[in-house]
Amino acid sequence: MRLEILMTAVIFFGGSCLTGYALRRLLHFKQEGFLFSIVAGVMCWWALMELVLVPMTMAMASFSGFVAVYTALVLACAAAGCFCWKEILADAKQAAGSVRSCVTPGHVAALGLILWQLYFIHHHMYLEWDDAYYVNLANEAVRSDLIYWVYPETGAITDFDKRYVLSLWPIFYAWLSKLTGVMPTIMAHTVFPWLMIPLAGMVYELIGRRLFPKDRQLQGMFLAMAVLLHLFMSGEHIAGITFLTLTPWVGKGVLAAILIPMLFYWILRTAEAEGRGLWIMLGITCLGGCLLSSMGIMLTPVFVGVTVCLQNIRKRSLRYLLSGAAACFPCVVLGIYYICLTH
Amino acid sequence: MQEFFDIAKTDFMDTFGGAWLFPLLAVAALWILWQEKDPTRKLLLGALPLIFLLLYWCPLTGILFMKILGENVYWRILWLLLPAATIPYGGCLLLKKLTGLRRYGAFLLCLAGIVLCGKNLLSEEWFEPSTNVYKIPQYVVEVGELLPDHVHAMVSNRVMPYIRMYNPTITLAFGRNALIWNGMEAPVYHDHMLYLEAQKEEIDLDVLIPLAEEMEIEFFVFSNNRTYLGEWEAYGYKLYGSTNDFNIYARADWSGKEPTERWKE
Repeated sequence: MRLEILMTAVIFFGGSCLTGYALRRLLHFKQEGFLFSIVAGVMCWWALMELVLVPMTMAMASFSGFVAVYTALVLACAAAGCFCWKEILADAKQAAGSVRSCVTPGHVAALGLILWQLYFIHHHMYLEWDDAYYVNLANEAVRSDLIYWVYPETGAITDFDKRYVLSLWPIFYAWLSKLTGVMPTIMAHTVFPWLMIPLAGMVYELIGRRLFPKDRQLQGMFLAMAVLLHLFMSGEHIAGITFLTLTPWVGKGVLAAILIPMLFYWILRTAEAEGRGLWIMLGITCLGGCLLSSMGIMLTPVFVGVTVCLQNIRKRSLRYLLSGAAACFPCVVLGIYYICLTH
Repeated sequence: MQEFFDIAKTDFMDTFGGAWLFPLLAVAALWILWQEKDPTRKLLLGALPLIFLLLYWCPLTGILFMKILGENVYWRILWLLLPAATIPYGGCLLLKKLTGLRRYGAFLLCLAGIVLCGKNLLSEEWFEPSTNVYKIPQYVVEVGELLPDHVHAMVSNRVMPYIRMYNPTITLAFGRNALIWNGMEAPVYHDHMLYLEAQKEEIDLDVLIPLAEEMEIEFFVFSNNRTYLGEWEAYGYKLYGSTNDFNIYARADWSGKEPTERWKE
């Protein structure tokens, strides 16, 4: 299983990192580092998947067809990232040169906590009742080669629940399963924690860097406290970030623990300095949120809308307000489509 | 209005109950509002959680969100509070004032505060040791190892949510939505009758088998503490296999015919 985890992590983090570099070149983000590239690349993958998956599901396309199209697009993005070797080398040099200054007690504590979290989760299981639907949705896609048209809990009847059709997150790990040959159940329960928990750590590290740009020590302490909070929440299954520890493969959990903090990161950046690239990344992240959960279609525009309006009290800029609205556009379109589907 | 507050209060307590993290979040937000000089951060880290709390508790916006999101999932607004950004930032504002060993000491106190106010998630209250790579109950894996591929089965409610995670080629007669039939007093439909018969301590095979054959069920997985009125063999079934917890019965003439895509039928 170690090999499968390693292989999936290389595909996920390596591919998203290269995609992130391509995005950075396209949107003129300079000197952002590896973590930014990985996280931006992941958001791009999820948004891209939403764009491909929704029409293909509605058109009753085969899962293998989806895998071919999506893999080709992801490969194209990653290949584009390979042309950014100058930026990659520059980041590698900078990272190598600053290893010592980067390692602070806070970072060591955060890393230790993340490793403990991963070790514990790897050796334990949390029985999630809803997996009968969501994990089997991925299993059924791989087995029947259909996306979402077979009722996943029994596999015996055709079914098309319109409530979830716009947010087929399990197809993401079905896709990774297809690439690696690991069964979706194992991908979700055993491999996914190794992807999502470090990814959440990366998002909080980026937020910390933005909040304390000149104090590396405080960045580490911020990260350590953020990670610790994921381990000592209220203990209630539904309490947002609790999901990351209990069920890191569930779309709602990824939404609450990774995507909403990532939206916060973009809002923080756009509040400090506006730029077209930042707004585009916010829009991409909003679209990625729609893949994770139907709740993402509703909650991401609520979050972006409230934060942008709040910032605009101070900024008093119509352009800022319109840019925020434009970033929410994908969610609004999907939200209207969702209402049309369900009513 | 009272109904709204009842729902809001219940969901709020369900989200933050059992720990002291909400007071910690509120203190951190107020601390940021007091101490932070930068207006952007003051708004995003101090005011924002309080605004989302206001949106959650205010009946006007609360009822609006209930209409948009749905009454059952309205509480998910609370996910937007971002405690893992606000609380650490509040802590770091305090640490910023200190240097050297004092800062490290205060950092450890902050970590201890989180540990004391929160509830440990990595405990066996939530998790159980995993015994297989699928991370499903071992008794399900034992049943799954015995069941052949591509069979249509009726399984115990303990096995039902997990068996297709082990082997998705197995199709089931009932999913979790059948659980709502529990307690039904006068079932009319045959599938309801079949499900309810299978829940009895003593299952009447005279009732079960004809109904199951209508639904083309080939395999049964029942807890081994069940008793039966009648002999399985008399109905053309045999004990196919057993685990510590379950007995598996199959049609005696079952020969592993060509797999069918049952949903196509």
